[in-house]
Amino acid sequence: MSEVREPAFDRVVALVLRVGAFTCFFVMLTGLLLGLFIHGSLPEDIERAGVLLMLATPVVRVLVAGILFLREKDWRYGAISLGVLTILLLGAVFGIGEH
Amino acid sequence: MFSALLLVMGFFAGILGALTGIGGGVLLTPILALHFGIPIRQAIGTSLVAVITTSAASSSVHLQRHTTDIRLGMTLELATAFGAAVTAYLVGYFNRNVLEGLFAGFLLYSSITILARGGKLKDEETVPPNTNGETVIPPYEPQRYPLGLAASLVAGGLSGLLGIGGGPIKVPVMFIFMKVPLMVATATSNFMIGVTAAASAIVYYRRGDILVEIAAPLAVGVFLGSLLGARLAPRIQTKYVVYLLVAIMLYLAGHLCVHLLSGGSAA
Repeated sequence: MSEVREPAFDRVVALVLRVGAFTCFFVMLTGLLLGLFIHGSLPEDIERAGVLLMLATPVVRVLVAGILFLREKDWRYGAISLGVLTILLLGAVFGIGEH
Repeated sequence: MFSALLLVMGFFAGILGALTGIGGGVLLTPILALHFGIPIRQAIGTSLVAVITTSAASSSVHLQRHTTDIRLGMTLELATAFGAAVTAYLVGYFNRNVLEGLFAGFLLYSSITILARGGKLKDEETVPPNTNGETVIPPYEPQRYPLGLAASLVAGGLSGLLGIGGGPIKVPVMFIFMKVPLMVATATSNFMIGVTAAASAIVYYRRGDILVEIAAPLAVGVFLGSLLGARLAPRIQTKYVVYLLVAIMLYLAGHLCVHLLSGGSAA
């Protein structure tokens, strides 16, 4: 399995990561620059959106890889991706802890 | 002004990270804790955002060179993400002195390992390019999955605890025990860091341990720094950069120890 390299698969996953990183960069930068001119909560809300997008990027990457595996009828790795996705989402649902 | 300082700091951490392969989190966490007076737990959560940024940017490059084993990475991520999420929860109940002590120990251990190798960060493996100039990866089949998963669980646990990538554990395990070519092991480890860090960062975020106004300028700086670092890498003698990195790590480890011994009062 591992000696079979799938360039198209690699490219799609790379695209997800690249788009995620660049989008977050520009969103956070916008927040920072706005913060120079505007007072109030808007700049921080934009920065927060950038941080949340950054946290979401790996989750989307797992989701996209999982869909690609399922489309190839690679059930084993589709299931593994689903498992990783579940762990990530459980953290988001049960994010309880002391302050 | 404060944001500008953080941005510049992230920028240099990003350059160092891209040149040496050591994630920016290792430097950013103690600097935030020692020089910005941020409690170590928030410092870890905040620099996790920068760790994810670095991983996303650098692994997209590895992926385009087709050196990442996505199937192997995804399998081991079951263990790293689980370990990271569990320790990220547990950190909520840890005393800050324990965390600072662990972090100082980790910095010392990393510095000594690098120095013991004579300034080389990792064993170099040269794969000759084929006639088309493409890198050829010899065929392989990952071995000993149970051992790989166990090591990944530990690496993930450390990542959730200290906000680090865990590459120093995963790369040798994949290379030596799972019989994966070093180039693939490095790229795959890098690939896994984003998901591992996200698993713990999500828990830190929900607990309020990610300070957005600090994470944003740091991540912007790290992103720019790693882009520049990746371009500089082929032209720079990395050996001196590595010694600079070790010096900074030893300074931070010492500073953390002093901070601990003085009862955490000196900033």
